[in-house]
Amino acid sequence: MSEDVIVQTRALSKVYRDFWGRQKVRALKALDLEVRRGEVLGLLGPNGSGKTTTIKLILGLLFPTAGEALVFGKRATDVSKNERIGYLPEESYLYRFLNAEETLDFYARLFDMPPATRQERVDSLIKQVGLDQARKRQLQEYSKGMTRRIGLAQALINNPDLILLDEPTSGLDPIGTREMKDMILRLKDEGKTVVMCSHLLADVQDVCDRIAILHQGELKELGRVDTLLTVADVTQIRARGLSADCQNEIRDVISRHQGELLDMANPTTTLEELFLSIVRDSEARPGRRAKVEQPADPSAAD
Amino acid sequence: MVLEREILPYFDWLFRGEDLLGALPQYLIIAAALGFLALVVGYLISAVRHGLLRGGDIVYRTVSSGFRELLETSSRRTWALARLAMKEAWRRRVIVALVVFVILLSFANWFLTSDNQDPVKLYVSFLLTAVTYLVLGIALLLSTFSLPGDFKTKTIYTVVTKPVRAGEIILGRIIGFTLVGTILLLVMAVCSYVFVSRSLNHTHQVETNSLSYERDPAGELLGYRGQTGLDAYHRHDIELETDKNGFALSNHGHYHEIDAQGDKQIVRKPHDLLRARVPRYGKLSFTDRQGDAKERGISVGSEWTYRSFIDGNTQATAIWVFDNIDASLEAEEGRGLPIGLTVRVFRTHKGIIGKPITGAIQVRNPETNLKSDLIPFAALDAKIEETTIDRVLVDTEDQQRDLFKDFVSTNGQLEIRVLCMERGQYFGFAQPDCYLRLPDSSPLWNYVKVYTSIWVQMVIVTSIGVTSSALLSGPVSMLFTVSFILLGFSRDFFLGIAVGSDFARYGVDKVFGGGPVEALVRIVTRKNVIAPLDPGFGTSVVQSIDLVLQKLMLSVAQVLPDFSAFSTVNFAALGFDVPAGRVSQDLTVCLGYVLGSVVVGYFLLRTREVAK
Repeated sequence: MSEDVIVQTRALSKVYRDFWGRQKVRALKALDLEVRRGEVLGLLGPNGSGKTTTIKLILGLLFPTAGEALVFGKRATDVSKNERIGYLPEESYLYRFLNAEETLDFYARLFDMPPATRQERVDSLIKQVGLDQARKRQLQEYSKGMTRRIGLAQALINNPDLILLDEPTSGLDPIGTREMKDMILRLKDEGKTVVMCSHLLADVQDVCDRIAILHQGELKELGRVDTLLTVADVTQIRARGLSADCQNEIRDVISRHQGELLDMANPTTTLEELFLSIVRDSEARPGRRAKVEQPADPSAAD
Repeated sequence: MVLEREILPYFDWLFRGEDLLGALPQYLIIAAALGFLALVVGYLISAVRHGLLRGGDIVYRTVSSGFRELLETSSRRTWALARLAMKEAWRRRVIVALVVFVILLSFANWFLTSDNQDPVKLYVSFLLTAVTYLVLGIALLLSTFSLPGDFKTKTIYTVVTKPVRAGEIILGRIIGFTLVGTILLLVMAVCSYVFVSRSLNHTHQVETNSLSYERDPAGELLGYRGQTGLDAYHRHDIELETDKNGFALSNHGHYHEIDAQGDKQIVRKPHDLLRARVPRYGKLSFTDRQGDAKERGISVGSEWTYRSFIDGNTQATAIWVFDNIDASLEAEEGRGLPIGLTVRVFRTHKGIIGKPITGAIQVRNPETNLKSDLIPFAALDAKIEETTIDRVLVDTEDQQRDLFKDFVSTNGQLEIRVLCMERGQYFGFAQPDCYLRLPDSSPLWNYVKVYTSIWVQMVIVTSIGVTSSALLSGPVSMLFTVSFILLGFSRDFFLGIAVGSDFARYGVDKVFGGGPVEALVRIVTRKNVIAPLDPGFGTSVVQSIDLVLQKLMLSVAQVLPDFSAFSTVNFAALGFDVPAGRVSQDLTVCLGYVLGSVVVGYFLLRTREVAK
């Protein structure tokens, strides 16, 4: 296994059985997959497609029925691999009677961290995920978003090389979602390898380098996001400040070259962008009605 | 004091044992047998699921990585998990147990009246038994529901995806719950000690009307005799010096000092309420009514064969041989040899109700056959008689002899012989019923040792609870652990059923009525346990099934903790020191269970799919 391959699965299969050993469901069928150092891989698929099962097999939370999963060249059941792994489960399964500080301190101890390092790491992560004001509050008093943030902090407590995120944006508001995506991109910039599974396609598209699409336990597609999403026979031009004449001229040029004009209009922003812009403005000018930046009107230029 | 099994010196117990192997070899053999069995079962399951070769590979990897990971156990991780377990216990309102205990103490005095010949025994045995069951209950609940709770809330996902070894999860929980239990035990120990001391503390008024002068033949005043008033359901005879200082003599297991203050006598607080007698035991043998040596006395029909009896006014004698006797054993110089004697009196005719039966003590030099004259004593059933054999004794030929010079053999042996002097009455004895009294140990330290034995039981229950919960759900794990405890409390009976006619080899009483299926048949057919079943095909089938079940029971009995043997409540209740050897043996057994639990728990957790 190459140094650059962080996770490798070979014909990884999982069959769930009932108490009597009878097959209930075949959750994963002979999955062959490689995750390389420094990339963000998204596992995509509808509910029950085998995304979470794959992550659990990689973590050693489940045992494969056939095949094997290697992480850092070690078997998934080898506990020592966990030294370099961070895991954020679908819901933050944390001890709700602990507060944020105690939670992170507990997980840091599980990595055998010496006290000084532990304290430093706990402080820095609590600030990083924006829970400094709530560090002494028990997790049972936390909102869903705060719980996800402390969950993310526990996943990063050991400064892991590989981070596995199961539905990382689930239950988060748009700001939380954006922060989570920014965090994933930051981790990527730091050279970490991220494997995330989600059924929120936009999230995956925003942060993943490669995606693997699973359906009914089978790998249906695997490749780079930009390659997979590129429509080869369509050209997109985005420009600012074009006059109506100029736009007509472009239409003529397309027509002259036997092209088919599919669309030429002022684009709309995404609802996410609009929402974030309003929140930013509200924070900058509290108590005032939000002023949303409108795209420039081309007719005004005339 | 009943001691059904001799307490061996620690290293004898550990390596040599009494009749069977020593504790350590037994432990290793059982561990090896269990390990082999687990390997075979593990391989069979793996082979069925994954094929012969892959199954073997999985078993090999599990075992090899298992031992490596057990050696990699980190104290920091284990302590983190222990702290978590403590916080969890606190969150689960473990403090309620203390509230229950305080309520129990608050109302205990309603039911524990001091109108008892031995109020200390009543109070101490009640309290320590209550503490034992309360603490075992807490240990059971905490240990069996913790891990299943983690599986249910899936918090275990965030733990096992860290570099935590499965053994650390088990050990951390055992340590955490043990610490919680220890804190509770400490609080209960202090509360119960204060409660017993305060409840039994009392004083008396001297009945001045009862005081009479004691004079010598010349008419000179020697002192006064009289009695105290009736307080705490008893009164004492008193003896005062001429200055009217003196003692309220021993009754209800204690005595008082009396100080004269002006015209009044002040009776001080009781002494010797809580004691820790340190006995030194000898070897018991018997002679029958003809004077022939026997290993045991006769049976008076009691099913409990712990004691055997000598018949009165015959040559039947109970003989204890003590080793290493010298003058250093004297309580005070020149006073003689202090001994303790408990007699079970079996009457074949009533005689006068409440009147003691007369017995006699005789000492003998086993080497020279020199015997002392009979020293009479009055025996009340089950009462601990504490007396001193005088330093100067008269032999059978009316010669004055020195106890240590003339009755002790050159190799330091002394025989103490006890006879029943009344015709038709019987004295019953077991080996621990006669002992040499060494200076008392500290009652407080003895109390600590008794609590240590409760602690040992708590740790064992915690270990078994945590280990079983690594595989089973909370309620099932609790049922399993409760079964383990109940079987542990009746281990001898369970073993007796398992070994059938081979009972003597295992040092247990014979259990009549056959194995479980035969017993069921007897219940259904209303047949008594002694009469053999009618021979025939049905009986053969029943007994064959029992044979298999008995083998299984014998295997289970090997790993059952003998909870009844752990309890040292009776030592404190009866005022005997818990031998240090006994405490160290219990602690070693406890360590054995914890180690075994961690290893078994490790493999149960390691081979379990956490996310299933």
